[in-house]
Amino acid sequence: MNSFAERFSTTTAASHMRNAQKLAEEDDEFDGTMWGSSAGFGSIAKGVPSFTVPAVADPTAFLRLHTDDHADPSCRIKIQHGTTTLAFRFQGGVIVAVDSRATAGSYIASGTVKKVIEINPYLLGTMAGGAADCQYWETYLGMHCRLHELRNRERISVSAASKYLSNLVYSYKGMGLSMGTMICGWDKTGPAVFYVDSDGTRLKGDLFSVGSGSTFAYGVLDQGYRWDLTDEEAQELGRRSIYAAGHRDAFSGNSCNLYHVKEDGWKFIGNYDISKLHYDGPGNVPGSDGRPYGYDIRVEGLSSTNAPEVAAAA
Amino acid sequence: MFLTRSEYDRGVNTFSPEGRLFQVEYAIEAIKLGSTTVGIRTPEGVVLGVEKRVQSPLLESSSIEKIMEIDAHLGCAMSGLTADARTMIDHARVTAQNHAFTYDERIKVESVTQAVCDLALRFGESVHDEDAMMSRPFGVALLIAGIDELGPQLYHTDPSGTFVRYDAKAIGSGSEAAQSELQDKWHKQITLQEAQILTLRVLKQVMEEKLDQHNVQLAQVTPTKGFEILDETRLQEVIEAM
Amino acid sequence: MPSIEQPQQRQFNPYSENGGTILAIAGADFSVIAGDTRQSEGYSIQTRYAPKVFRLTDRAVLAVNGFAADGNMFVKKVRQRLEWYRHAHAKDMPLRAIARLIQTMLYARRFFPFYVYNILGGIEEDGTGAVYSFDPVGSYEREACRAAGAAQSLVQPFLDNQIYFKNQLPAPGTSHPAHLPLSTVLSLVIDSFTSATERHIEVGDGLEIYIVFSKGSTSLQGLASVRGLQEVTTTDDGERVFVIRRELKKD
Repeated sequence: MNSFAERFSTTTAASHMRNAQKLAEEDDEFDGTMWGSSAGFGSIAKGVPSFTVPAVADPTAFLRLHTDDHADPSCRIKIQHGTTTLAFRFQGGVIVAVDSRATAGSYIASGTVKKVIEINPYLLGTMAGGAADCQYWETYLGMHCRLHELRNRERISVSAASKYLSNLVYSYKGMGLSMGTMICGWDKTGPAVFYVDSDGTRLKGDLFSVGSGSTFAYGVLDQGYRWDLTDEEAQELGRRSIYAAGHRDAFSGNSCNLYHVKEDGWKFIGNYDISKLHYDGPGNVPGSDGRPYGYDIRVEGLSSTNAPEVAAAA
Repeated sequence: MFLTRSEYDRGVNTFSPEGRLFQVEYAIEAIKLGSTTVGIRTPEGVVLGVEKRVQSPLLESSSIEKIMEIDAHLGCAMSGLTADARTMIDHARVTAQNHAFTYDERIKVESVTQAVCDLALRFGESVHDEDAMMSRPFGVALLIAGIDELGPQLYHTDPSGTFVRYDAKAIGSGSEAAQSELQDKWHKQITLQEAQILTLRVLKQVMEEKLDQHNVQLAQVTPTKGFEILDETRLQEVIEAM
Repeated sequence: MPSIEQPQQRQFNPYSENGGTILAIAGADFSVIAGDTRQSEGYSIQTRYAPKVFRLTDRAVLAVNGFAADGNMFVKKVRQRLEWYRHAHAKDMPLRAIARLIQTMLYARRFFPFYVYNILGGIEEDGTGAVYSFDPVGSYEREACRAAGAAQSLVQPFLDNQIYFKNQLPAPGTSHPAHLPLSTVLSLVIDSFTSATERHIEVGDGLEIYIVFSKGSTSLQGLASVRGLQEVTTTDDGERVFVIRRELKKD
């Protein structure tokens, strides 16, 4: 009887413990800060995001089992995957070019993905790997860049911003984040590109390409790259490289988004349908001769099926 | 008067039998020692002005910071223990950024003011695992100026965590004279430039030194340019126009 | 007799898949969000009426598809956050804010995802119709139309063709319209679901189509002749929400 009374009483020491325990359990989702003026920023109510983790021995194995990665397309939760992205530094700034295809297994989940994330008016991030991981953390990075700016009365350097991101994802290492990104911008040191991925790698460099189509993009990019490219030549090189990846990599394609970062911030140059690039070319844009990228047109009269006149006569 | 309070003005969380929190009231007194700060709301934007007390010719007046940016659409001027304001303004900045991150929109002026006031009351003992808080009330009052979908707004906050919206407000040592001057001169159709001049006139009246571009600071929040502190040349122009 | 120890393995398997399909299309000043009402597990139909489309505010409607338990809980939590926002900021949350909120809520479960595909439809602050689509962990994008769920791969190509005019050439001297009129959109939605019902076992039973109109939308006139229409607007702010309920084949 005594124990029964204690169980339902609200004044005993045991009940206080019970209430404290209950509070602690609910704390992660229903917290006092959810109600005040912060109006429930949810998982970032305390300033840093917090995550719900399943109550199992190995949460990472749980995540791997239920969400898809490229190795196991059969499982249920298909997270969108990004594919070809590139960025390079040259005399006139930074060129950032990406495709727009998202695949879930072999299904094209979207052909209009924005894989360039506009962190702020002078910083761009690219998306390869988990779309949500990149979108979320690069937006989060943008918030911290702004706070840095307010607190220090000067813009954050590309190096510092990329290091912030790399430290951030490193703290989740092994938890299943997947992102390969290039942080691009212009700071006191001039144009800058940093490669950051979810393993914790952070590299400074002139030229990077990330994603399943990166090998194809590198082929064109390496061939045409020079430091002293003009703005127009550089933009054309970015377009052509993404086109090549879209053409040869099944997981890349649909369209190419092109950005150019200069001293006064980034500028969106254009969106180019990859099929249109193949058959009609990019149209009347600076840097292009207006001819289609597809080689059928380029090799007209020179291929085996349509041999040149001279060869035919011989 | 101090004798009668001596029993109840020690603990920050102890009410007196008359129902007063003396430490909070003393904190409000601290603001009356601060430099004069003025804010004026107009239909075109909000103007903030502060007096910088340059106590020594060796003091670099540009290093006195009494008007700060919270976000592109929000500014803040202070009076009292300005060091305390740093904590509050950083909280306001973080709140504004968290809001932008979570909702992809600019925070409302009232919401950011509310957030600052929530912090103002978090003194005394801490509740479970929340951040370490202040052991005493903040000794600073803020004028928060900003623009949102409800137009230009000016809020006043004090150490008790109370906030009120004003058309024009003066705080600090010269606030009583300044406030009555504002009450006389403010009208609904006041322009931004008139407000700039009025701010300086009011400051000039209550300042001991002669007003120049080194010992006052003006800032404004407008729909087009957002928050900006007027540089010395622009300040000079307003002083001349006055 | 000695007992033989067998290796045992236990797994935490909190997810199921409940079929069904959802779809949303944005017009110039309206937005249409639809879903079928069948809920199944494997080859058994659990119920013929389990709504997957929910009115959040008078300018936002959310469709959820995937694991029904997660979906229902997610909608409940979104509604709770909308209410808290209303108390804190004294206004209804704008559509793009809801979209970002949903991203942060989904991503907070990055390591224990909601098995839910979300499509959010409604009216933006500028009065235009909008559709936002999400993956289970919160990546999102504003689009003109989107299908998700069991029959996504049946319906989306049809929408690509009929709404984005993919692989269609305009008649000489004309161009494809940027936005379709309401009557066309409603026909496309109904055709999408009747067709999906024909070819997908997890789609059928009932169809719920929500339509959100911007303030003073001229598309409202097109509703007069629609049967099975019900208004579910709760405020008189200007935006109006309607729902059309139709039957789908039940075999």
